[in-house]
Amino acid sequence: MGLSAVASRVATRAPVPVFPVAGLGARAAVDDLLVETRLRIVDTPAAANVLLLAGDVPSGLAAELARLHDGMSRPRTSLWWTLGASVRPAIRCPTEVRDPDPSILVDAVVDVHRRLLTGELASSYPQLPDEDAAPWRGIGPYGQGGTGMTGGVPYGRPMAEVAPDRDGLRLDQLTVRIGPFFARFPTGLVLELRLQGDVVQEAQLALPAGDVPMSGVATTPFGDALGVPVRVSVLEVERARSHLRSIASALVAHQLGSLAQRVLRLAGKVRPGDDHEIERLHRVLRRSQVLGWATTGVGHIAPERLEGTASGPILRASGVARDERADDPVYGGLGFEPIVHEGSDARARLAQRLAEARQALELAGRAGELDHDPESPLESPRGRLAAGDLPARRVLPLIPSLLEGMEWGDAVSTVVSLDLDTDEVLALHATDPKVSVP
Amino acid sequence: MLSPLAAALAVFVCAAIAMVALRSASDAIAGVGETAPERVPFLGGHSPEVHAWSRFHARYYVMALLFLAFDMEMVFMYPWAVVFVREGGIALAEMGMFITILLVGVLYAWRERALRWA
Repeated sequence: MGLSAVASRVATRAPVPVFPVAGLGARAAVDDLLVETRLRIVDTPAAANVLLLAGDVPSGLAAELARLHDGMSRPRTSLWWTLGASVRPAIRCPTEVRDPDPSILVDAVVDVHRRLLTGELASSYPQLPDEDAAPWRGIGPYGQGGTGMTGGVPYGRPMAEVAPDRDGLRLDQLTVRIGPFFARFPTGLVLELRLQGDVVQEAQLALPAGDVPMSGVATTPFGDALGVPVRVSVLEVERARSHLRSIASALVAHQLGSLAQRVLRLAGKVRPGDDHEIERLHRVLRRSQVLGWATTGVGHIAPERLEGTASGPILRASGVARDERADDPVYGGLGFEPIVHEGSDARARLAQRLAEARQALELAGRAGELDHDPESPLESPRGRLAAGDLPARRVLPLIPSLLEGMEWGDAVSTVVSLDLDTDEVLALHATDPKVSVP
Repeated sequence: MLSPLAAALAVFVCAAIAMVALRSASDAIAGVGETAPERVPFLGGHSPEVHAWSRFHARYYVMALLFLAFDMEMVFMYPWAVVFVREGGIALAEMGMFITILLVGVLYAWRERALRWA
């Protein structure tokens, strides 16, 4: 047996490096893959061999998807986990998994990876032509694409422009577009940034236009509750799960992967009345110094700026006791009182979601057979929800001014702490291509 | 025994072989044959608009200077420790003055926000 065959056989036993893309209605399923020990969820396609497309990845993102595919190391392949979606992804996927059961998906991914390494399955070809962004070869005294230190287009890209920095120096300003497949952000969120070093000088939102079916938004119990009566206990358990998933993604963003796995496992198994489990988690998270340092004072939003924009946990984490459930007689009968936290930073938002998850499980335990009336106001885990009034739409315009002056790491923590819903961000693509920035 | 000339030749041949081996090993792992879109850094799906060669403010330089100041202070402290017992209080006062001046420098840098990273 040759050396490469031995190496391939050893490599097939390792966890499969997977870069997942969560489409419409697939965010929760993709987030839960983090607890699978046979997969290694990676943040960049260069580290992955398998591109996992889950759910409905909008056709408007075809060009970006092709670039993402070409960024993967060889050997590589794409796999489509349909999760009930009917529209095929824009790039060819040799393997499709129709079963929503994650263990069947993991079996399929491991099998695809094994076949890829042993050569049974061919590595996929580049999607994009081999063309530089601009001609540069042979131009300039050394053929590097330009003249002097900052002239021309070395390697096909112009040099950065200079702009004054906060110390009055004139330094280079990089223009980068992050997204729509940046691992920490909801799919579809594109930030256009001007960076000096790692400081964000200017941020803008860019949501590309494309056809996005609205079906994804209605697949959660909260989407159903807009039209039909839904058990309060079902809504509250779903709220607790959503908050726990949000906390897990914040933990992943702070490189606390094992804690995130623990939170996700809890999110998968919570039942009404499990609030003591959350209490235990609260003690663990409070002990984490890393989390405290990384979130205290980060992403502070003045409460008056939230007036009329954000609702839900973001608003309540800045000390405003506004909750749609307080106006609902069903919740009034359960003795519901809104929880608030002071601080208005990423730490307060984490603490708020944790406290609300605990309260939700407590309420679910007491709610019994009670139903939510579709006529009553609806508080989703991310704030007030009504037909055509999505929480993400109100939060997104806050982001650009919030990020200016932040270091990139804090900017990521801030966006993660706002808990934007992938489905809502993707749904916005269909309605308006550019979110107006006040 | 090898003659000096043979030894030099052997070293030269070994070095040449090592260079060729390293070169081909680096070619093997450097992704030769990748297309232009495969070589660009990942930004989440968009290609970079400007080149990544850019000048940015090296904020750690102030910290490096502070480190050097206290490093030199340690150099001064070694001979000082040798004569400290003989000179007594005067040596202590001198060292106190020296460290105070350095500390004022740190406080100045702190006030000027030089220790702020971003």
